[in-house]
Amino acid sequence: MSNVNDMDDGTTMDLHSAATIANETRERAKRELTISGPVLFASGGLVLLLGYGAIWLSVRDQRPYHGPTGAAIAVLIVLVMAAVIITASVVDRAASGVAGQSVLRRRIGFSAIGIGYVGVLVLEAALAHAGASHAVAYGVFAAAAPILVTGAIYIANSATSLDWPLFGLGTCLIAIAAAGAFAGPRTVWLVGALAGGLAFWIKAAVELWLGRT
Amino acid sequence: MSENGLDPIIHAPARLRIVVTLAALHDGDTLSFTRLQDLIGLTPGNLITHLRTLQDAGYVTTEKTGNGATARTSVALTHSGRAALERYTTVLRELLDSATPKISG
Repeated sequence: MSNVNDMDDGTTMDLHSAATIANETRERAKRELTISGPVLFASGGLVLLLGYGAIWLSVRDQRPYHGPTGAAIAVLIVLVMAAVIITASVVDRAASGVAGQSVLRRRIGFSAIGIGYVGVLVLEAALAHAGASHAVAYGVFAAAAPILVTGAIYIANSATSLDWPLFGLGTCLIAIAAAGAFAGPRTVWLVGALAGGLAFWIKAAVELWLGRT
Repeated sequence: MSENGLDPIIHAPARLRIVVTLAALHDGDTLSFTRLQDLIGLTPGNLITHLRTLQDAGYVTTEKTGNGATARTSVALTHSGRAALERYTTVLRELLDSATPKISG
């Protein structure tokens, strides 16, 4: 076994110690400096399952369709806010002390999602203003558009990071939003809750499997 | 280069930890001195000494911004430092492989 004396800190490190230090440091740095994908995607899945699920429960027996109840919308808003807080804390923990291009890319990514959702709300109001029925504006469009926007942004983000599982999630979300719209203003919420939630959880499981904890 | 081919600049526990930690960052990112210190577990004085050695070798860059309470020192691995770590890891693996007794059939 070869021993090399480190003149600077006076310690001797053999080859096995060097390999152990390198592996342990790599694992720790990865754990501490990487944003936990499984937590973020699992919370996204929970928002869809419970939030869209609550809205579906409030509209499933409406004949004619007039839109989600205030209580169901409140549940969705609380869940979205909880997901935002979880995301902020996970990102803050990993990104503390880190600066540079990846931080900028992440900010642009999160801004894109926020801007996209604001655009969806404005477009929804425009549809209602233009005379679209409640079934279209507050049913099919309100349920499908946010999922479609999220999917498109994930696909765009996957291009910069070459993240194929993210590309897969984005594609699934677009397919769920587009195909789910055919289910009509009531069932589209259920499709979003179950299929959308499942897609997010599969992505969370893939992240775990890839070791991106 | 040491007699076994390992880069002596990197082949020291503290500097190996520093270089491996900085290599976990994305290209173009920097890490604050305090976060690096927190991750490595060195005293500020020791960390400064090792960073200076790495900086003299062209493996890391440090940049100080602001002053007083807002002063912040950021550290980043250079392309040359990343390449040196890759070479170091390759040589280390080869040495470990050659040191492992072969089972002959």
